[in-house]
Amino acid sequence: MQNTADAAVMNFPRRDARDKLLGRTKYTIDVGGSEVIHAVLLRADVASAQVLRLDVEAARSMPGVRAIATWEDAPGAHGIGIADHPIFARDVIRYHGEPIAAIAAETLEQAHAAAQAITLELAPLPAVLTMAQALEKDAPLVHPDWKDYDILFEGAARGGNVAWEATVARGDTDAAFDRTDVTIVDGVYRVGRQSHVPFEPRAVVAAFEDGRHHIQTSTQVPWTVRHVTARVLNIPESQVRVTVPAVGGGFGLKFDCSLEPYAAILAKKSGRVVSLVNSRREEQMTCLCRENAEIRIRSAVTADGEIVGREATVLMDCGAYGGEQVFLTTMTAHTLGGNYRLGSVRLSSRAIYTNTPPNGAFRACNGVYNTFALERHTDEICDAIGMDRMEFRRHNVVGDQDIGATGQVFEGDVLRPMIDRMQALCAKHPNGRENGQRLDDGRIYGRAMTVGTWFIFVGPSAATVNLNVDGSATLVTSGVEIGSGSMMHALPQIVAAGLGIAPEQVIVKTADTDAAGRDLGVGGGRTTVSIGAASAAACDEVRDKLLAVASEMLQTAPEQLVLADGRVEIRGRPGSGTTIQKVVAEAETRTGPISGSGAFTGPGIEAMPGCAAGHFIDAIDIPVFAVHDCELAIDPDTGQVEILAYRVVQDVGRALNHRAIHGQIQGGVVQGMGYALHEEITINDQGCFDQTGFEAYRLPLAQDVVPIEFDLFEGAPSCGPLGTKGAGEVPILNVGATIGCAIANATGKQVSQLPLTPPRVLALLDGRDEPLALNHISAIWSDNTLRR
Amino acid sequence: MTITLTVNREERIFSGDPRTPLVDVLRDHLRMTGTKAVCREGFCGACMVHVDGAPMASCLLPVGSLDGAAVTTIEGVATMEHLNAVQQAFEDHDVVQCGMCFPGMVMTMSRLFQTNTSPDRDEIKAAMTGNICRCTGYERIIDALMSIRTNEVTS
Repeated sequence: MQNTADAAVMNFPRRDARDKLLGRTKYTIDVGGSEVIHAVLLRADVASAQVLRLDVEAARSMPGVRAIATWEDAPGAHGIGIADHPIFARDVIRYHGEPIAAIAAETLEQAHAAAQAITLELAPLPAVLTMAQALEKDAPLVHPDWKDYDILFEGAARGGNVAWEATVARGDTDAAFDRTDVTIVDGVYRVGRQSHVPFEPRAVVAAFEDGRHHIQTSTQVPWTVRHVTARVLNIPESQVRVTVPAVGGGFGLKFDCSLEPYAAILAKKSGRVVSLVNSRREEQMTCLCRENAEIRIRSAVTADGEIVGREATVLMDCGAYGGEQVFLTTMTAHTLGGNYRLGSVRLSSRAIYTNTPPNGAFRACNGVYNTFALERHTDEICDAIGMDRMEFRRHNVVGDQDIGATGQVFEGDVLRPMIDRMQALCAKHPNGRENGQRLDDGRIYGRAMTVGTWFIFVGPSAATVNLNVDGSATLVTSGVEIGSGSMMHALPQIVAAGLGIAPEQVIVKTADTDAAGRDLGVGGGRTTVSIGAASAAACDEVRDKLLAVASEMLQTAPEQLVLADGRVEIRGRPGSGTTIQKVVAEAETRTGPISGSGAFTGPGIEAMPGCAAGHFIDAIDIPVFAVHDCELAIDPDTGQVEILAYRVVQDVGRALNHRAIHGQIQGGVVQGMGYALHEEITINDQGCFDQTGFEAYRLPLAQDVVPIEFDLFEGAPSCGPLGTKGAGEVPILNVGATIGCAIANATGKQVSQLPLTPPRVLALLDGRDEPLALNHISAIWSDNTLRR
Repeated sequence: MTITLTVNREERIFSGDPRTPLVDVLRDHLRMTGTKAVCREGFCGACMVHVDGAPMASCLLPVGSLDGAAVTTIEGVATMEHLNAVQQAFEDHDVVQCGMCFPGMVMTMSRLFQTNTSPDRDEIKAAMTGNICRCTGYERIIDALMSIRTNEVTS
């Protein structure tokens, strides 16, 4: 008979597809009707200013207006690591688009009209719009009062426009760089922002019911919404209930609380149900983007390819408030400091305040650009020491018992055999083409293979499984379905396998913070792992209770009983037992209905003491690896890049649903292609984005893409249920790196920046591309730290 | 101004600003929320409907220009029991993710299969250019469509 892990593997189709295909699914943006009133935000249209006067009296008497909220209604500040973020500007405006007031009215038009009637007098303040400006000696401070803010997580260096600084120091890099037998390779890299563009913008519907706030919202993190809303309203968290309808795409954008507190305040003040939805322009202009970043990496490498020392500095633009970038400073250690064995290492990862819209989390976050910088740097090392690129990688990738940047010990050889698998995959399609070769149509051929390291975000999850008298099971968690399908595929499959029932018999309840236990949220590849592990643990308890009753009914020891096909059977004697329904009915007469609860939080892998400072986690519980290969063609007349073939070998631990993972790989790689080639955000001298909608922000279209060929690498160690790792986040990880390296290989030019838009590629080809200089990042590593 | 149009074979009367985009008439006035307003500038295709049989972006159509027109929305192409061939292929191949683009995708692709019963991969991609999907990376959707080899699609 199959074991539980085997039983969980299937191409179970998602159950929400039919309603989505019929237009029947109700997303948060679809909640409406005559009982719902509509809210808008009055947002700043300057990047930096002092508020001299804010007067909402005239607006209050405008037609249809039901409530207006300002800073007086939201006394608290929130943030990650530091409470630096009030939800309304009070005395100071720090970014273009910052909310100043919220207005609810019977119609959207009335709310807009009332917003126009608000009197706002401002006095301009100097703005810092780039990280280079922010780090100048006498730069204006985005947060002059930074020392007075509540610290929510201790241990980081902060100061001036440096919101947060995380450092790693392992070994003696000075000695490594002083060696006479090393080549020193010094590289700088820069990337722009990437906008998620979920088709459902951030949206919320709030009501005040029985003395509590009820927030229906398009979020990935119901418990964060509950916590942050309570914090900024200065009310107990228990007064906030969050429920989540189907979410029309997240990609990390909805991993933060954003619109919810405004709607909650207006709902209480008006006594009405309030809908607040970002217009597409607002959604674009205030997108919590993947941040722009600037990176310098220096490596000391021996002639035979040993990396004896590495020093790197990463500047991450957090915008006007710290947000996710504060946490993400931690992840530099495990991405830029990942992939390869390092004799010694020093890293400085800094979140920098600027007067620009705040940034956030986006699928694999800074891993995407750190991998771009690291893989470009790795190719530069290979060129400098005259070593083959794959030979260098094969020689240096981390394997079993190697140590990472913070000294954590890796388990198992994963990347090296994955490289072998990629070479086998590529060998199926020999084409004899060489980098730089002209194709028959005159285009230039390029190819590259890269490796990448990311992690599965673990942390607390809770699950309850109720075994129903009809033999079905109800899974109650705080998980939400954002589109990736984890709630539709993996979770019912895991529960079904645990209880020996069909996955169609597993009812999956979406998040309601009044019904399910706390959860860190859907993101970071953690749903299958963390909620899945909690669900599996809940099933264990249900099993134990069920088998205890069945044991008496069947006069057989529990360890001789198995659950399969909705029945409890005596091991090795199919048909000998009874149905789950009968056991549940019997249990109800003895002890009551059968349910189980489960919890998970992650094993807590150890780092080397003293290596890391200012880090939220010192080691990664579940590393995850990827190897990518790309073939492309560059049109020398237009700079247009066409992807000819793209291949992925992905470490998935164990693949529960092949079709679902395929969907994530195809979608994630294509999102990475947009990032690498044409999704560009530029910030103008007003501190706002030039790309305000779909016309200017160029998303991948059907004709831009190719079918991604892939090979799932199974069997790498994982504490996830049944050996799983999350598979949805990581496909985007090394797309920018692989395309960037392939374009460098095709052109023979230095590729230091993303995106590689046609004008940038043309400039590369024509030699008009100015070499990137990041003079605000010193070659002396310690100059790039506050602790110097 | 009063506009009379047929929506999913039923006569509907709209009284109001004739410049109101059809997508808002559908979503806000008729509360038919299957049609999605995503970009509102005619690029994404999520608001596609059929007007007198032709697929059109409803965000760009002032309702005043539609007096007497026959509009079919995603709510009008199939029933819960019987999907059309495009929807059925998408369900069978399990290609849906967040689902926001799919109403528009279904409208455009259903029309394609009415005019070309066996399009090749390039023809499908060309027809899909006006329908953006942020989740799927398209190719699995196209695989699903390639499995359709009949003209059983109905509007």
